[in-house]
This record gives sequence, C-alpha cells and structure tokens, in this order.
Amino acid sequence: MVSPLISPKPLKLPGAHVVVTGGSSGIGKCIAIECYKQGAFITLIARDENKLLQTKKEIEKYSVNDKQVVLCISVDVSKDYEQVENVLKQAQEKLGPVDLLVNCAGTSVTGKFEDIEVNSFERLMAVNYLGSVYPSRAVISTMKERRMGRIVFVSSQAGQLGLFGYTAYSPTKFALRGLAEALQMEVKPYNIYVTVAYPPDTDTPGFAEESKTKPLETKLISET
Amino acid sequence: MLLLAAAFIVAIVLLLYMVSPLISPKPLKLPGAHVVVTGGSSGIGKCIAIECYKQGAFITLIARDENKLLQTKKEIEKYSVNDKQVVLCISVDVSKDYEQVENVLKQAQEKLGPVDLLVNCAGTSVTGKFEDIEVNSFERLMAVNYLGSVYPSRAVISTMKERRMGRIVFVSSQAGQLGLFGYTAYSPTKFALRGLAEALQMEVKPYNIYVTVAYPPDTDTPGFAEESKTKPLETKLISETSSVCQAEQVARVIVKDAIQGNFNSSVGSDGYMLSILTSGMSPVTSITEGLQQVVCMGIFRIVGLFYLGSFDSIVRRCMMQREKSENTDKTE
Repeated sequence: MVSPLISPKPLKLPGAHVVVTGGSSGIGKCIAIECYKQGAFITLIARDENKLLQTKKEIEKYSVNDKQVVLCISVDVSKDYEQVENVLKQAQEKLGPVDLLVNCAGTSVTGKFEDIEVNSFERLMAVNYLGSVYPSRAVISTMKERRMGRIVFVSSQAGQLGLFGYTAYSPTKFALRGLAEALQMEVKPYNIYVTVAYPPDTDTPGFAEESKTKPLETKLISET
Repeated sequence: MLLLAAAFIVAIVLLLYMVSPLISPKPLKLPGAHVVVTGGSSGIGKCIAIECYKQGAFITLIARDENKLLQTKKEIEKYSVNDKQVVLCISVDVSKDYEQVENVLKQAQEKLGPVDLLVNCAGTSVTGKFEDIEVNSFERLMAVNYLGSVYPSRAVISTMKERRMGRIVFVSSQAGQLGLFGYTAYSPTKFALRGLAEALQMEVKPYNIYVTVAYPPDTDTPGFAEESKTKPLETKLISETSSVCQAEQVARVIVKDAIQGNFNSSVGSDGYMLSILTSGMSPVTSITEGLQQVVCMGIFRIVGLFYLGSFDSIVRRCMMQREKSENTDKTE
C-alpha cells in the first residue's frame, strides 16, 4: 500500500508527444502503434523515407481522434549530433515538447569473435549506443526544464548476459544499461524516469537479418 | 540434532573447497610468459607490467606516446629477475585501425613469441553532467575504452585458440558495475567491456582460454587526476563513499586473478560486495565463488538499495542547493 507513495506518477499518453527512433519497423513500429492507440502524437525517426511513409499510413489506421498526428523524420541518429538535435527541434516545434523518447534504433550481427567483420564492432556500437545517446541528449534539457519526461532504452537479454556469437552485439546493449543507470541517477530529482527494456529474441525484420549469419552454437543456445 | 546439521553443512562446504580446483583453470606460469599490456605506459597498466615483470615475464608495452613508453621501459627494467627478460615498446593507437593493431602484435609475437596474457588496460575517462559533456566524448571514450580492447583481443585470439591456452584481461571499472552520476560517457564503455568478456568467454572456454574482467575502484593514477578536473560536485560526494586505491595494489590483484583465470576480479571489501551483487549471469571459475554469490546476493542487494537511496538524496540535495543559490542571485 505504501509503495505508490514513492513510485512515479504514471505518464498520461493521450495528447503526449512520443518520439520513437527506429520506428519504421520491428519493435519500434509496434511501440509507436501502441502509443498511438492510446491517443499519443507520434514522431517516427528512421533513415529510410519510404519505409517511414509506409509505417505512417499503417499507424494512422489506429487513430482514436481527429487531432492525432504522425510525423516522419528521416535521419541517421548515429552519424552526427547536430543533425539529431535539429531534427528533434523541428519535431518539438510541430508537436510540442517530447514527453516520451523511445530509443529503439538498433541492429545486430552474430558470429564468432574472430569471424565477425572487423568494422561491425564500431558500426554496431555507433547505431545501438551513440544512436541512443544523441536523441536522449537532444531532449534532456527540455525535460529537465519541464520537470517531467520518460526515456526508454531498448536493450536486449543479450545486454543482461553475454552469449556465444554476440561479441559485437552484447557490448552495445550492456552499454545502454550503463548509460541508463548513470542518466537515471542524474535526472531523478527532475521527475524524469528512465526505462531499460530487455526484450528476448523477437520476431522482427532485424531478427531475421541477424539469423542469417548465426553460428550453430548461438542457435542451439537461443533455443532455450 | 542442530549440531549434526551444522557439522554436515560445514563438511559439504569443505568438500566443495577441495573439489573446486578440479574445475578451476590451471594457473598460468608467468616466468618466461609473453605478457602484452595496452595502456602500459602509465597508471594501472604500468603497475601490471611491473608486477608481471617481477614474476619473470617478458613484457610488450603498447601505448601512443613513445617518450612515455621509453621512460616506463627503463622503470620496469629495474625490477628484472634474470638476464633474459625483455621489455618491448610499441607505439600505436589501439582504437584507430584494426590492421595497425594486428601488425603491431604480429611484430611483438615474432620477437617475444606467442602472447600468453593480454591485458587490455588502454582507457580514459571523462566526467560531467550528461548535457554538459562535450558531445564527441561519447564516441571518443567508447573508441578508446571499447574498440581499443576489441582490436588487440581479436589480434591474439586465433593464436591462443591454436595453442589451446591464453588469458585475456579487460580492465573495466566499478563504474562498469553500476552507473553513477557524472559517468554517462564512461560507464557505458566499461559496461560494454563486461558484455564483451562474457560473450567471448563463452566462445573460448573449451580452448582453455580464460577471460578476466577487472573492476578497480577509484585508483590513484594520472588518468584519475585528469578525470577529477571536470568532476561535478555530486560525483565527488558520491565517490567519497569509497576510498582511492593505490595502483600497485590494484595491479597485484588483477595479475593474481589473471593467473588463476578468475572471470571476476575485484579490489577491497567494497569491490567484493559489488562484484557479488552484480554478478548476474557472469560465469564462475570456482564452486566456492558461486556459493558465495548465492548466499550473499540477497543481503548485498539490500545494502545496495540503501546506497542508491543515499546517492539519490545527495543528487537531490545538490540540485536544491543550486536552485536556492540561483534564486538568491536573482533576487539580488
């Protein structure tokens, strides 16, 4: 009974501005749909403009009132912070300050440590980690001013334990947890709450891509 | 009856202690071994090199600054225990380009033989509030601390797998076990090393290669002095809960754990508690280690939650004080 006294007040989604990076497919798309169904205004961020427009049409089918908007912005969230900052400024000019940022942009590569293409380590870390740092940094000051906000980092079960074949992927997902823990400690008094999600293997285009190069050991271990 | 039960439990624990060596790795013999230390020209890396050298190893120091390397080489050579020992210095940036790192380690192996123990100690740190840290620090720190450990490890792993023996050490940090105020650019890099280590260990275990992740506390090194320059007040206050360690002590612990092939390496009683608390799904190298984790994790979590509560109140207090002083400035 006492627990709610220390827990955060739930975020009200109707009318809230939700930004989803990696929102054009997979888990990101489903998160956008889920928030939209509950009345939120969505900003989808991804690289591919066509996929974004397709997803926007898909999401708009679930509208619950006339005012809802789905905004699409095409940018690579891992390349350059200035770009990401501009893009989020535009989004906030159109749909108001960001209430919930979902960092879902990410990709995966599996293989034995010595077989994984060398630049995958840097590339994966850029997309999965920097691609979450930059959008978060772009919204944090406004959230601190408003004394409210939610930031979600989509990690993975592979971010809770390292598994055979994931030497390029696990570190990126572990990193998100370190970022989330440190960030949460900084923003707690500002009523901003950080969530780290640890989804299991999820049926998405990203997972299908990852499975192409998956070593036997990884497949067998994943079968648990 | 109670006495009998107690005696039974003690007997089981003693049995486990005795059986434990049967599943633990055979200790690495340092005399004559080829030890490579990245970031070996200063701080913890230098002390690790000295510690291994004192025990008879052949050292390859890898760092960027040639002058520092030569100075450190002279310092290490004072501790030689026989005439054959060698300290090789190679100047390279381990985070820039894999090909370079691969070449450099090939050269080292041509001179001193295959690498027995690789210590990934190259690393740097930056502290500050998330929105104050210079934007490119996130990428830079991840490159040095993470990629700078991936590349050397990748360069030696195939040879270690062929020889069916080897040790790889990743020097993480207590900030790689929990995220703290001010470390949003640093903690992720050290968490990443742990993810890498866990995944890598699972791949190389049947090849008799053992991975060690070290989690040193704040250690008195040039790197730490550098980090302290921009440290926010909250971070300083939170860090005061544990003391600053000497690099020599940290190095001794890391080398001991690397020789034993222990996955988890921690320093001091704070470190012990933190390691048990955050052991998660990490592998154990001895049955007794597993037993300690099982027995102590619950109570350490309770202690940990109290620590988190106190850190949160330090952060809140600092925020309110800052706002109060800003308000009084405004009214003046």
